[in-house]
Amino acid sequence: MTDVAQQTPVRRTRASHLRAQVRRWWPYYLMLTPGIVYFVIYHYLPIWEAQIAFQQVRIIPPNFWVGLDHFRTLASSTVFFQVLLNTLIISAMKIAFVFPVPIILALLLNEVRASGLRRFIQSVIYLPHFLSWVVISGIVIAVLSPGDGAVNDLREFVGLEPRAFMTDIGAIRWVLVFSEIWRSAGWDSLLYLAAIIAIDQQLYDAAQIDGAGRWQKIRHVTLPGIVPTIATLFILNMGMFLSAGFDQVFNLANDVTLPAIDIIDTYVYRIGLQTGEYALATAAGLFKGVVGMAMILSAHVISRRLTGKGVW
Amino acid sequence: MATRAQQRTPLERAEYALIVSSLLLMVVLTLQPMLHLVAVSLSDPARVAGMNGLAVLPDGLSIEVWQLLVTHPNVQRGLWNSIVITGTGTLINVAATALMAWALAQKALPGRRAIFLGVLLTIVFEPGIIPDYFVMKRLGLIDSTWSVILYKAVNAWYLIILIRFFEEIPRELLEAAELDGANPFQTFFRVVLPLAKPALATITLFYMVFHWNEFFRAMIYLSDQTKWPLQVVLRQFVIEGDKLAMVGVQAMNDYTAASQINIRALKAGMIILTVLPILAIYPLILRFFTKGTMMGAVKG
Repeated sequence: MTDVAQQTPVRRTRASHLRAQVRRWWPYYLMLTPGIVYFVIYHYLPIWEAQIAFQQVRIIPPNFWVGLDHFRTLASSTVFFQVLLNTLIISAMKIAFVFPVPIILALLLNEVRASGLRRFIQSVIYLPHFLSWVVISGIVIAVLSPGDGAVNDLREFVGLEPRAFMTDIGAIRWVLVFSEIWRSAGWDSLLYLAAIIAIDQQLYDAAQIDGAGRWQKIRHVTLPGIVPTIATLFILNMGMFLSAGFDQVFNLANDVTLPAIDIIDTYVYRIGLQTGEYALATAAGLFKGVVGMAMILSAHVISRRLTGKGVW
Repeated sequence: MATRAQQRTPLERAEYALIVSSLLLMVVLTLQPMLHLVAVSLSDPARVAGMNGLAVLPDGLSIEVWQLLVTHPNVQRGLWNSIVITGTGTLINVAATALMAWALAQKALPGRRAIFLGVLLTIVFEPGIIPDYFVMKRLGLIDSTWSVILYKAVNAWYLIILIRFFEEIPRELLEAAELDGANPFQTFFRVVLPLAKPALATITLFYMVFHWNEFFRAMIYLSDQTKWPLQVVLRQFVIEGDKLAMVGVQAMNDYTAASQINIRALKAGMIILTVLPILAIYPLILRFFTKGTMMGAVKG
């Protein structure tokens, strides 16, 4: 008896508490609905759908489970090995040769005292960031054209033989590096410039009094001031190591050069949507997804610990 | 200023000249390829074949290429499709993102943390394009423009930027509205949105550029070529070098004017045409994006 007597009021308050919560919050849940529906359809249904990586896809359903068979196929595939190697090489090249450029640009831009000139330079070099890789590839193909491209006309001018870079398997990775610099170096310098602007002006004044010149100020004030930003962006880049740039490779590759720049994402597209090996392609995509997640999460944790700034 | 310039040594002045000229070299490297394409597209078609790759001025003057482009059915359709996808898509993006961000900016909202984690998971884990494709297929959205319009309807990064922005809004302003008897919707539309104008303008521009430049999802989700946006039309012509698709079998067989136009000039014009809308909003981008990126710090 006493038990029931004690339970009823509790239940009643819990119910009324819930009612009060609903009355208070329903407008906000309504606001959340479109977004949540979107995330479920475009992000969570695909995660569920990814189970075909563990199945044998049959024209007449049902599919049956094959465990890790597709992953074993990938592990023993020489093509996938090459694809993985290409991805790692291209990412490493981009970190080594693309990553430093915006830092240098930001340091140089910061030295330009005429604000009109600086703004002009900025507004030009930010532009390529807003162009699609279809457009940029069109531009790159035109610039590198062996007959009438700017680069080969310059080569001819200094007495060099024209070179067909776009169909040159030894040159194509460098085409990726330089086109990436062309597209993103300007815009990425903005992040460093923002960090430079945040540096305390008093540090420069103190350095001035100590008789520091331009390069000493850069070395002892500016660079140390942006090291946290550099570290954060570097770690973030490392976290994205397995994404070597799908849109870029997809638009710049051709049958001749593909063996040198076929990356995981283009491989997934090719064997999945072009050849129709859905399960194997999904397995490759899932491999990238899982390893990529581990890398991004590690990047986040490391960045948090080193610089106090995470990935988000 | 004058006295400082006098104090500079010749070495310092040489250094400064070196810095400025290396930046100007970057400017030239950025602009020359685009100016060259403009020049080629406006040149006399007969002279395009002999044009130097370094040229930035047209050789002769002709709008033949542009006439052909703007009257071409594939280009017109592509342009229209791109406008529809970008317009509708951006509207949905901004509405869904702003509503969701405002709800998630309520610190006391039950379930807020779980939903936020659910959003973060989509940033770190992507199962790849094949599952995406199959979900679209299962929902019957293949060959529907909606599959492309709704792709990235809420960008997790912009959502986070907006949540941060909304959280900064002073509580007193909101409480004042509530005291005046405003319900949460009224508060959102009359107090929050007007305050968030710069942030909303920034993400609107982000989303517009994203939709205008998106080509891959349209390529794989839309097999019906009449639904292709401009980027996919451009790709077919410039990257895949499909001259037939551009000029048309009829024109090729009949040796009409269209088939005589230099293919290099036509490609150049097509690339520039696709860039024009970006150039049109670029001044706005410069005004808002630069601020927005500083605001979101690393979250470019």
